[in-house]
Amino acid sequence: MSIAVIGAGPHGLSALKALLQNGIDAEGFERAGDVGGNWNYGAPTSRVYRSTHLISSKPFTQFPDFPMPDSYPDYPSHVQVKEYLTSYARHFGLVDRIHFDAEVVSVAPVGDGATWRVTVRNPANGDLSSTEHDGVVIANGHNWSAKIPRYPGQDSFGGRIIHSADYKDADVLRGKRVLVVGAGNTGCDVAVESAQNATRTWHSTRRGYYYNPKYLMGRPSDQTADLLLALRIPLALRRQMFKASLRFAVGDFTKFGLKKPDHRFFETHPIVNQQLVYYVGQGDITPVDDIATFDKEGVVFTDGSRADVDLVVFCTGYLVTFPFLDDAALHLDWHNGHPRLALHLFTTKHRNLFVSGLIQPDSGQWTLAHWQGILIARYLEAREQRPAVAERLYADATGQAGRRYSAGTTYKDSSRHYYEVAHQDYLQSLQDAINALEVPA
Amino acid sequence: MSSRGSRRTRVMRQWDWSLPSRPVSHREVISAMPDPPAGRPPLLMVHGIAHAAWCFAENWVPAAAQAGFPAHALSLRGHGASAGGRHLRRTLIRDYVHDVMQAITELPEPPVLIGHSMGAIVAQLVAERYPLRGLVLLTPAPLHSAVADLVAIARDRPADLVRAVLGRTLSMEPDILFEGLDPATARAYSDRTSTESPFVQWELLLPQRVGPVRCPVLVVGTPSDRLVRVEDVQRTAHAYGVEPVWFPGMGHDVMLDAGWERVLDTVLRFAADLPPWGSVQKV
Repeated sequence: MSIAVIGAGPHGLSALKALLQNGIDAEGFERAGDVGGNWNYGAPTSRVYRSTHLISSKPFTQFPDFPMPDSYPDYPSHVQVKEYLTSYARHFGLVDRIHFDAEVVSVAPVGDGATWRVTVRNPANGDLSSTEHDGVVIANGHNWSAKIPRYPGQDSFGGRIIHSADYKDADVLRGKRVLVVGAGNTGCDVAVESAQNATRTWHSTRRGYYYNPKYLMGRPSDQTADLLLALRIPLALRRQMFKASLRFAVGDFTKFGLKKPDHRFFETHPIVNQQLVYYVGQGDITPVDDIATFDKEGVVFTDGSRADVDLVVFCTGYLVTFPFLDDAALHLDWHNGHPRLALHLFTTKHRNLFVSGLIQPDSGQWTLAHWQGILIARYLEAREQRPAVAERLYADATGQAGRRYSAGTTYKDSSRHYYEVAHQDYLQSLQDAINALEVPA
Repeated sequence: MSSRGSRRTRVMRQWDWSLPSRPVSHREVISAMPDPPAGRPPLLMVHGIAHAAWCFAENWVPAAAQAGFPAHALSLRGHGASAGGRHLRRTLIRDYVHDVMQAITELPEPPVLIGHSMGAIVAQLVAERYPLRGLVLLTPAPLHSAVADLVAIARDRPADLVRAVLGRTLSMEPDILFEGLDPATARAYSDRTSTESPFVQWELLLPQRVGPVRCPVLVVGTPSDRLVRVEDVQRTAHAYGVEPVWFPGMGHDVMLDAGWERVLDTVLRFAADLPPWGSVQKV
């Protein structure tokens, strides 16, 4: 058995490691010249910027079998993350198993899909080469293909428009009048950097959000959230506690001129940014409505106000895309613009095609990456050694394809949050699946 | 694959995520590297109660390196020259697991982990979460609670029961640890033992839950061990589907007592025969 793993970011690395650890032959394919994926700063598909730090703290973010060094801070920088992923890859002997500078251009089933042909292109000389594999793990990431909105008059705008995908450092903001669009974590980061570097900053958001601090009562706030979960505090009470603590630490967001959140806690992907509210309070960031139209000088907002700007930064997220799959709609069971997966992992049409990393947890991510990899490896192992057990798991999982792991919350704007998972809810399901493969004969 | 069917992989580790171990500023690792490198797996050695890296550094670390193995002995927090002494009285076994995991990530490849006594419990807790090359348990404290061992100890030395209950460090007198050493050497080693965390000693009385261990396991015991009962060594070994290797005439500290060469030889032969990490299974 030989498995191809596409991508050498955190999910690709952990999948490759899990396969090797379970005695399954596997090789990786990576477009860039090094491991890290998104965290390989400067690589064509890396979307981190110079100031990027983790917004989740170490304990849940790190791989559970390879903790980050004690010398790292609670929230490491992207440089430390890259160093960490490199040492993980070296420690587990993954570097020798990955083809670098190998851009996957085609993944197609051979015949009925018993095997898959993977074709890669060498970006340096354009040479193509193909290999055949018994299975494929797709871990190409979902934060690299820019999603760029269109507004009336956008083409007549005389200033510059960039997407955060191309935002690398604050130099581009210096001395400019800047409009930052989007209140995701990137949008908030860029708005803060703009406040520190640009002459003026507007921050356009469609709705109000809860801007969570990185620390709560002296501890990283995600650890506090996990503590409440460990103590089995019910959702309604956790909501009240978080709301109360934000009220106590920051106060009423609307008094800063920010919009009132139109949803309850945990109903959107959490935003972790302590500085945004601070710069709003100092007048360095002006919160504004959604964009209505562009004109030559600037932007008109939905409330009728306008701003003359030199630069617009769209922090409007990324599109999920699998450009190399010969028929993604078919193989990934595409519905309403999204692949329909089981456990965010198994594909419903093929028992040997997996997707890892198509999740957006309300927490750190690589504990989930680790267990996704382990489940894929254990499932493939069981397919060889205990086919009936493997088949039962596959049937159970795909019977619930498309299930959400939201821990009782209803996500706002479900398309935007299609990949959102409540980390412990999802992880418990991975645990159940792994345990199902361990049932004594 | 050596594990009991009843053991389940543990994915949910809520306390690790919400109340992580306090980082320590410095960890003592005493190492010796073979020259030239011989392609053997690294060995990482973890001491037991009130010991430190020195107990392995004395004989095993240099001898293993001589035999071609990169050898490392770790001092857990609050022991030897490692930091964390100020917090020793609040230290738990999970903090020791954290220390060993940290030491492992600094190695260039997955090691064979060797745990002695209480360190064998730490080693098993590491083995359930990390893909070791191999696991060696030397006179292992029992996972299923050391109450019976404490009762046995109390029959010989009632005062020790009182000490343990009160949170004082168990007695590390020479006659408890050694059988074949001359009295001066035995006394000198005994004098090097230090203080142990009271919580760790109490935790030894509680059963520890350990998930499946998927690497090869070697268990070493001595029939005349005055701290860990023969039955408990057997039970530990049987949990992994192996029989203990016995070294009659030796005391609890098999890495220091007369005859340590024979024990090390057994460990090194086990380590040399391990399949390479990530080698493809022949199904």
